[in-house]
Amino acid sequence: MKIRDGFMLREIAGQWVVVPLGEKVVEFNGIMTLSQSGALLWQVLEKNASEEDLVEVILKEYTIDKETAETDVREFVSIIREKNLIN
Amino acid sequence: MSLRWGELYSQLISGARERKELISASFELTARCNLQCKMCYVSHSVNDLKTKAKELTTAEWIRLAEEARDAGLLFLTLTGGEVFIREDFKTIYEKFMQMGFVIQIYTNGTLLTKDHVNWLASIPPSKVSITLYGASRKTYQEVTGYAEGFDKTIRAIDDLLAKGITTEIKTTVIQGTRYEFDALLDIALQRKLQLGIVNYVSPNRECSHSDPVGNRLSSQELLQYEIHMSEREQQLTAENIKDITKITDAVTEEVMPAKLDVVRLKDTPALAFPCLAGTSAAWVTWDGRLLPCGLLDIPETNPLEKGFKAAWEELKNKCTLIPVCKECQECKYQSLCEHCPARLFRETGYYDQPAPYLCELAQSRSVYKDRMKA
Repeated sequence: MKIRDGFMLREIAGQWVVVPLGEKVVEFNGIMTLSQSGALLWQVLEKNASEEDLVEVILKEYTIDKETAETDVREFVSIIREKNLIN
Repeated sequence: MSLRWGELYSQLISGARERKELISASFELTARCNLQCKMCYVSHSVNDLKTKAKELTTAEWIRLAEEARDAGLLFLTLTGGEVFIREDFKTIYEKFMQMGFVIQIYTNGTLLTKDHVNWLASIPPSKVSITLYGASRKTYQEVTGYAEGFDKTIRAIDDLLAKGITTEIKTTVIQGTRYEFDALLDIALQRKLQLGIVNYVSPNRECSHSDPVGNRLSSQELLQYEIHMSEREQQLTAENIKDITKITDAVTEEVMPAKLDVVRLKDTPALAFPCLAGTSAAWVTWDGRLLPCGLLDIPETNPLEKGFKAAWEELKNKCTLIPVCKECQECKYQSLCEHCPARLFRETGYYDQPAPYLCELAQSRSVYKDRMKA
C-alpha cells in the first residue's frame, strides 16, 4: 500500500492536515486532519507499507497491545482507502 | 478525522494565533490594474512600465511561496492590482497549487475569459472572490472608467458558477455605488450568492489616480446605507431568505474570519491588531516587502534579502511595538467601531490616535441604535 501522489501531509499550528495538490483538488474537495498516530501511519505509507508494517510502527511508538494496534491500523487504512487516498 | 474547510478553518486559525505561527498571507502579485477605480488604495496603470519593472519575477514569487510554506503558510490569497494582467499568472498559480496551500483569488473579473475559467476548473482554488463595482454599465463607467467591465464581470461570475467553482461576490460602498445595494443584491440572489459589503474605504497606500477619501461615504451616509441593508435583510428574512449579506474587508477578509479572532486572548499581552495581522497573517507587496497588512506600508521587512522565515520573525517583533490606541480601547462606542492600527494609521498617521471618520461612524450607529430601542 502506498499513498497516492498529489497529497501533502503538513503540520499546521500543531495539527496534522492533508492537503490535496494541483488537480487533486477536483477529486478531493476538502482538507483532512490526522491525529499524531494517523500522521505517523501516513508518513510510513508515503514510502509503501503493508498493514503488518503499520502495526509494527504503532507498537514501537505507543504502549498498546497488538490487538488494539491491529484494530486501529485496519480502521485507518479503511478510512483512507474509502477516500481513495491509497493505491 | 475529516472535516469540512469551514469547520477546520476556525480551529487552525485560533491554533496559529495562540502559537504566533504564520498561517495566512496575501501575495499582492501586481499593483497594476486594467481598471481605474476612484477609491482604489493601491493601483497603478496596466501600462506603467516603471512599476512593472519593480514587480517580483516569477522565480521570486515561487521562491517566496516555498519559503512561506516552510514557515507554516496554509491559506494564501492572490491579489493585486489585477492578478490576471500578469502574463505569468498561470505559471505562478499552478506552481503554488503544487505546494500545499489553500488558495483564493481576488480579481475584478473583467479579464477572466472562458479559457481562464476552464483552466481554473481543472485546478480550482478554494474560492474566487470578485468585486462588483456597480450594477450597471453606467456605474462601471463612473467608478472604474470601463463600462464594458460590468458585462465582462457578470459573464465571468456566471462562467465560474457554471463550472462549479466556489465564487464570492462583494462590492465596495462609495458615492458611485451608494444607491445600488438593491440592484447588486438582486444580482447576488439570482445566483444564490451572498453579497459581501466592503463598508470601509481606506485612504491611499499608493496610487496616483484615485481619491478614496473624496469618494467614500460620509459617516452619516454610510449609516443610512447600513440601515437600508438591515431593512432589506429583515424584509427578506420574513420571506425566509436568510444570510444575504456579510460585512467584509477590502483587503483581506480571511484574516478575520470569525468572531473568535476578534476576542483578545486573555493571557497574551495586548497586541494592537485585533485580527491575525502580524501574529499569524502577513502581506507581501508586489515589490517584495513583507507587511502585517495590505493597508499599511510600515512596519516592513525584506523577505527576499533575509529569507521569508527570518523576515517574518522580524516583522512579528516589530508588530509587538505597535502601540494600542488607549482612547479607542476605553471608548464607549468600541463595540460599534471597526478600528484597528492599520485603519488608524491610514486615517491619522498614527497607530494609536482615534480617527474622526471612524469615531463619527461608531457614534452615529450608537445614536441610531438608541433611537430604535426607544
